[in-house]
Amino acid sequence: MTAYIVRRLFATLPVMAVVALFVFFLLRFAPGDPAAIIAGEDATAEAIAAVRAKLGLDRPMVEQFFVWILQLLQGDMGVSIFSNLAVTRLISQRLEPTVALTLSTLFVAVALAIPIGVVAAWKARKLVDRLVMGFAVLGFAMPVFVLAYILIYFFAVQWQLLPVQGYRPIAEGLWPFVECLILPSVALGVTYMALIARITRASMLEVLAQDYIRTANAKGLATDRVLLLHALKNAAVPIVTVIGIGIALLISGVVITETVFNIPGLGRLTVDAVLKRDYPVVQGLILVFAAAKVLVNLIIDISYAFLDPRIRY
Amino acid sequence: MSATAGNILEVRDLQTQFNTLDGVVRAVDGVSFDLARGETLGIVGESGCGKSVTALSILRLIPPETGRIAAGSIKFEGEELTTLGEEAMKGLRGHRISMIFQEPMTSLNPVLTVGTQIAENVVRHMGVSWRAARERSFEMLDLVRIADARRRLDEYPHQLSGGMRQRVMIAMALSCDPQVLIADEPTTALDVTIQAQILQLMLELKEKTGTAIVLITHDLGVVAETTERVVVMYAGRKVEEAPVEALFGQPLHPYTRGLMRAIPRLDIEADAAGTRPRLQEIPGLVPRLTQPIPGCAFAPRCGFATERCHVEPPPLVDVGAGHTVVCWEVDRVRASTP
Repeated sequence: MTAYIVRRLFATLPVMAVVALFVFFLLRFAPGDPAAIIAGEDATAEAIAAVRAKLGLDRPMVEQFFVWILQLLQGDMGVSIFSNLAVTRLISQRLEPTVALTLSTLFVAVALAIPIGVVAAWKARKLVDRLVMGFAVLGFAMPVFVLAYILIYFFAVQWQLLPVQGYRPIAEGLWPFVECLILPSVALGVTYMALIARITRASMLEVLAQDYIRTANAKGLATDRVLLLHALKNAAVPIVTVIGIGIALLISGVVITETVFNIPGLGRLTVDAVLKRDYPVVQGLILVFAAAKVLVNLIIDISYAFLDPRIRY
Repeated sequence: MSATAGNILEVRDLQTQFNTLDGVVRAVDGVSFDLARGETLGIVGESGCGKSVTALSILRLIPPETGRIAAGSIKFEGEELTTLGEEAMKGLRGHRISMIFQEPMTSLNPVLTVGTQIAENVVRHMGVSWRAARERSFEMLDLVRIADARRRLDEYPHQLSGGMRQRVMIAMALSCDPQVLIADEPTTALDVTIQAQILQLMLELKEKTGTAIVLITHDLGVVAETTERVVVMYAGRKVEEAPVEALFGQPLHPYTRGLMRAIPRLDIEADAAGTRPRLQEIPGLVPRLTQPIPGCAFAPRCGFATERCHVEPPPLVDVGAGHTVVCWEVDRVRASTP
């Protein structure tokens, strides 16, 4: 098992290398010039050239690439063109809100979706199933920003139960931290909840028709044991796969939610950096996002082996 | 067929129906039989005759979305099962009445260890700790002669062969010392040599534990070797019931005779030209069970059938010594050579 994990970790290196290569050149070929933006709208051609030389952007592209890669291998992602702050510092400052939002969203989605999906499959084609699945379709169809504003209107503005927006670090106390995360997590989580609940239901329905479920019932086992152990464990692989896809989608979804709820996370940093053509920051962010997705994939793959003994690693 | 104290299971006029797109299927249509303590009863018939549905009905495992026990009575130790509460029924399943299924490859849960699957039954019904249940699981695997049983406890079903999996099913089914074991085609999916081993094992364990067995099969050879009494079913109905020697010695229902002629035999010598007699099939097809059948269900395929057979339900004829047959033309059938 350990050997498998180490092997899989090494296998992620080529993926990350391709991402680095792609990110670097894609950004350079995208329209827009950071030197012109820094120099200002009325700057002369000489002034822009001077800024460009200062940033090293006048060097051949291949040379720039290798300089960046060498720095990267030493854990240095460069310095923001605009704020002169180290990219690693910028990112680590913004990491906590995004990680907190992603995990809490995931928690909301999974904690609701799996019971909903299991109950819907258990009571398939009955009223409970139809209600729950109708709700899931509604949740899936609702855009995040619409739901976000509806939630803000009722819970924050009308009833004043939760803050309208903002973020409080966990260092300031657990409740303020949680309080700020509830609305954004629910807004963002409902879509994923719907997706995961539907997969859970479908996967459970398939499993519940299997012979070994009949065997479990013929043993007179309690319904919860049949559903939650015998059936759910068999149904888990597709569910976990979708949760993994959900995490990947979440990382992009976070950009919108952070904007709506005014949370100073990586999503906002990304939007700002892209608009300003802050190359080192954008490169660093994309690498971090890519690494996160690769890591999630790895965790999902490893979890398969735990869930289903027939899967060899 | 009066209820006697020796019977552990009494099934009376059982009717189990399924709702399908073509209408209501009368999968079991008025079947009655008794099972004595410690007895081995065979239920024989071709695919779709309702024998498996009868078994599932006894354990009340008919999926409620599609099927139901429409009428009749199932008494276990004098207790009516058709109206028993679901929780009480769960207490019986796997404990006092156990079941083994046809497909050992798919009947065990692929993601739980063999040990867990046996032990959970013991924990559920015997109220013992997991540690004690695990010890019991080990004893049971040892009892069904799985080599290296201690190690096998932690293995998953895919690591075992088909024959071993069926042994695990048997170990599981017998782990709480049930009074009745229902075995639904337990050897059909196995190689012939493994079949014999599994049947032998079941009989040996029966001797040891005194569990009564209902053996459901389409294989008359299995019936002849293992059972004491046989119920022959056709189209959801019982057509003949007899002690096994009587049934093979003098089968009285035309359908039973048809079944016996359809058994391939190795003991018939080829004639001078080197040809063996062809196997005789039963002409025609099993009737559709969506329409009520007014007379005898077998009449359309029966060489003895008269006008009356098609329109009037045949009587149950008791020919003595526990041999009964449901037929209008018993005397003519008996007079003819089997």
